Amino acid sequence: MAEHIDVAVIGAGPAGLAAAIAARERGAEKVLIIERAEQLGGLLPQCIHNGFGLLYFEQDMTGPEYEKAFIEKARSLGVEALLETMVIDLDAERGITAVSSRHGYMKLKPGAVVLAMGCRERSRGAAGIPGTRPAGVLTAGTCQRFVNIEGYMPGSRYVIVGSGDIGMIMARRLTLEGAKVEAVVEIMPWPGGLIRNEVQCLHDFGIPLLLEHAVTFVHGEERVEGVTVSKVDAERRPVPGSERFFPCDCLLLSVGLIPENELSRKAGVELDPVTGGPVVDQNRQTSVPGIFAGGNVVQVHDLVDWVSWEAEAAGRSAAAYADKGRLKVASGVKVVPGKNIKYVVPQLISGKDDVTLHMRVERPGLKATVKVGDVLWKRYRSVRPSEMVILEVKGDALREAGVKGELVVDCEIRGGD
Amino acid sequence: MAPRETVICIGCPLGCRVTVLRDRKGNVAGFKGAECKQGQKYVLEELKNPVRTLTATVRTGDESCPLLPVRTSRPVPKALMKPIMRETARVKAAPPVKAGDVILKNVLKTKADLVATADWPGAGGEG
Amino acid sequence: MSALETEVLIIGAGVLGAATARELSRYKVDVTVVERNVDVGWGITKANVGVVCQGRDTLEFRPEYHRTRLLWRALPLMEPLCRELDVPFRKVGAYLLIRDQVLKEKLDKLARRTESLGLGSDKYYTYSELKEVEPFISPEIKGGLHDPEIAVVHPVYLTQALVENAVANGVRLMLETEVEGIEAGHTEFRVRTSRGEIRARYVVNAAGEWVDKIAAMVNADDFVLFPIKGYVGVLDRNCSELAKSLLAVLPEEPGDMNIVVPTVEGNLLFGIQLQINRRHDRSTTGHMARKALANARKLIPEISEKDVINSFCGFLMFRNFEIGWHECEVAMSARVPRFLNMTIGYPGVSASPGAALEALEILERDGLKLVPNPKFNPYRKDIPDFSMLSEKERKALIKKDPRYGHVVCRCETVTEGEIVEAVKRGATTLDGVKFRVRPGTGRCQGGFCGPRVTRIIARELGIPETEVTKAGGASRQVPLRTKQLLEEGDGDG
Repeated sequence: MAEHIDVAVIGAGPAGLAAAIAARERGAEKVLIIERAEQLGGLLPQCIHNGFGLLYFEQDMTGPEYEKAFIEKARSLGVEALLETMVIDLDAERGITAVSSRHGYMKLKPGAVVLAMGCRERSRGAAGIPGTRPAGVLTAGTCQRFVNIEGYMPGSRYVIVGSGDIGMIMARRLTLEGAKVEAVVEIMPWPGGLIRNEVQCLHDFGIPLLLEHAVTFVHGEERVEGVTVSKVDAERRPVPGSERFFPCDCLLLSVGLIPENELSRKAGVELDPVTGGPVVDQNRQTSVPGIFAGGNVVQVHDLVDWVSWEAEAAGRSAAAYADKGRLKVASGVKVVPGKNIKYVVPQLISGKDDVTLHMRVERPGLKATVKVGDVLWKRYRSVRPSEMVILEVKGDALREAGVKGELVVDCEIRGGD
Repeated sequence: MAPRETVICIGCPLGCRVTVLRDRKGNVAGFKGAECKQGQKYVLEELKNPVRTLTATVRTGDESCPLLPVRTSRPVPKALMKPIMRETARVKAAPPVKAGDVILKNVLKTKADLVATADWPGAGGEG
Repeated sequence: MSALETEVLIIGAGVLGAATARELSRYKVDVTVVERNVDVGWGITKANVGVVCQGRDTLEFRPEYHRTRLLWRALPLMEPLCRELDVPFRKVGAYLLIRDQVLKEKLDKLARRTESLGLGSDKYYTYSELKEVEPFISPEIKGGLHDPEIAVVHPVYLTQALVENAVANGVRLMLETEVEGIEAGHTEFRVRTSRGEIRARYVVNAAGEWVDKIAAMVNADDFVLFPIKGYVGVLDRNCSELAKSLLAVLPEEPGDMNIVVPTVEGNLLFGIQLQINRRHDRSTTGHMARKALANARKLIPEISEKDVINSFCGFLMFRNFEIGWHECEVAMSARVPRFLNMTIGYPGVSASPGAALEALEILERDGLKLVPNPKFNPYRKDIPDFSMLSEKERKALIKKDPRYGHVVCRCETVTEGEIVEAVKRGATTLDGVKFRVRPGTGRCQGGFCGPRVTRIIARELGIPETEVTKAGGASRQVPLRTKQLLEEGDGDG
């Protein structure tokens, strides 16, 4: 590994692949992807369902099909990859330490780095689900890997906590594979995933979705024997007397995704406490010069298409940085989440160039208006926390409004929820 | 009186809950609650002949890659999803497979084929 | 089936049984250890915060208590023992804190007594002095007494090392062997187990949570035990800065325990509350979790719910109320000759080296011949911990065995080499591997490495993945093959 690497991309999921391709296309000579798993694609190989690429390719693709399009393109562009290789350290000068069985212990110093580590699932411990600690409690994504890749089923009768997309998709998948899904339990008053998943994964199979409910106890000594489900009040506290027992041999968790930023922390990258990902400017540069980030490592997206687009921006910027050894900072204006806005990415923009703002609302509502300072407003028939709001803002409009310092984004709701 | 029929439109994030109105003969007479024309069209299709693209896996017999992902080449009637799943348990893919290869033709006479969605060169092949 | 004959049968491979077995392995004695679980140290030893070298707190540990004698005896032994066995041992020191200035008197009294007993001299820190060393401590804290000797170990690692070393020195270990009945004869015991009969001259009953039930089988239950349940929360390693030492609030009433403890790996454990509970019920409740977190936040306000990665409950086995919480039992049964009961309650891990020595003395007094074993080797090497090695050591290790270059668990940087070695040393389950080399103990709790560890265990043991369990018995991780249910539901087969 003595030769020079222009752009190193950490992670070979949809973000990493898109970033590597974009970096090559923007002129980076040598682009290297470093991936911990046995194959490229990240989680896409196990996402065998369709619904991918509707925006990016204007086609309804499955995870493996979407992945294949990117892998083939990356190969044709000569992007290199190290598989089963774990990056164990990253420093603020872009120094990478990685290990693998085949290549041993490696130190790399690329011209630029793209963080594309994606996200991980919240675990039972993090979700604080009380009860005993038997076998048969696992996250929906781990179950998906077992069922779709490894060829094993962790049980035959399931309760799923959390109505995130992976949870609902697994409810359908397991039902189709002959298992029984007793219920999907959601603590919030609204589902955590997309409507199309609620309809096609739950309603189609008559799987009950229990909103404002929580699993308040796991039963079973060696193996899960069932769970207690309780109603929750407005403070999300269990309502005494509302307990119901659901027999099951498996409890799946789909209780949120957390951007995977251990390496970012090691490099001293500033993280946004709300998104859990790096604070980025509109070039997707982090607070550490030469380190860029894109995809779910920055913010948890609901559509892979946007993961690819965001990572492409990071890849292009990384290539430009690697070329010149610097990149014009695009961080003159701070975007601040205002009324009913949980976060906005990028957190920093130039205030002069076109930019796409990604945001999530805090509460759902009908007849919503999203206002970007005095620059722009847009009406939505409906907004929901589970569906990212995406707004294109023109550089002309920003310049005309003379945006300086801060730009507040608000979401007003006129209808009900 | 027939039970109230509602269909949730999945055309957009709005997720309209559309109530179906029927005349005395049981024919659809109109809708309540659909915000747009496309929504009405979707609901009508959904009532007449609900179809879904089915994605699943088939066995390969290769322990290092035991399953191959597949999909139906076109949407199939909703009611046939489970019977088609039983078919997936009966077939075994034969290597080498390229994404797009037909694994099972005209599954349960739906005119849809089960098509591989990933490559599988076969045991010991290049991954 | 002919019965196995042994000189000393130890029931229970928890920290007490293991320490006693290892101590006996110094001598030419035929020793057998039976353990009902599929691995060692999984009873009350496991669910523990791992504090050792305690005993200077003379309000808790009065000189006249039996357990205090065991503790004081064990104090100088723990660190050398951990060195011999290559078990991580971290001297973290402890601050016993007060929230009310009035209580300083109590701390002063404590310090004076510790000093007068020759146990050491503990210094009092005011809040502003404390803040220098522990900057995250709550401003509600008025001050605290520093005990520099307090250390932490991982009680399961210690138990595994003791057992490994004992086995290397000739002790017989039988796992998944449950004692079903004991008959006391004139010269030997006939012990019925799930794996056949064992005849033994001596029985050492170190059955932890079940020590009184085992004793009752042979009418040697001279004592009654009350299981007291505690709750422990585990914080992400990102929070290790929040407390460098053990921090505990001086209890204002009995059972009012509130501590934050660093582990040998650098995670923080928090919030122990005690209550009498149904035996074996190790379930956690939402109420406990909220209370423990609220307690911990009184010590360190920065501790957040978001950083909790895991939680568990454990038990302390306390002697009957009449005798007091503070008494333990390391004694020959008054009613049944050659039947030695061992139960410490609190703090078992700290006292275990002292308790083992005392057990040997009791056995010797009773006639057991302790002839030194010339082949005894006190040393045991730990499994290499890739995450803690230097660059040079890592390179050398990967060169020797490339599997040490394959990181399977990202959160804790655990390599395939370590997992394979854990299986070689006796881990047969996911928890067995986890409690040796830690995959799945980090922030993702096995989300990524779970399927991979399952595969490695199956491969190394030569069993199908469907047979790999979390912790033995019926706890199979993936009991079915994909499509199996479709075929079973097929009707026509």
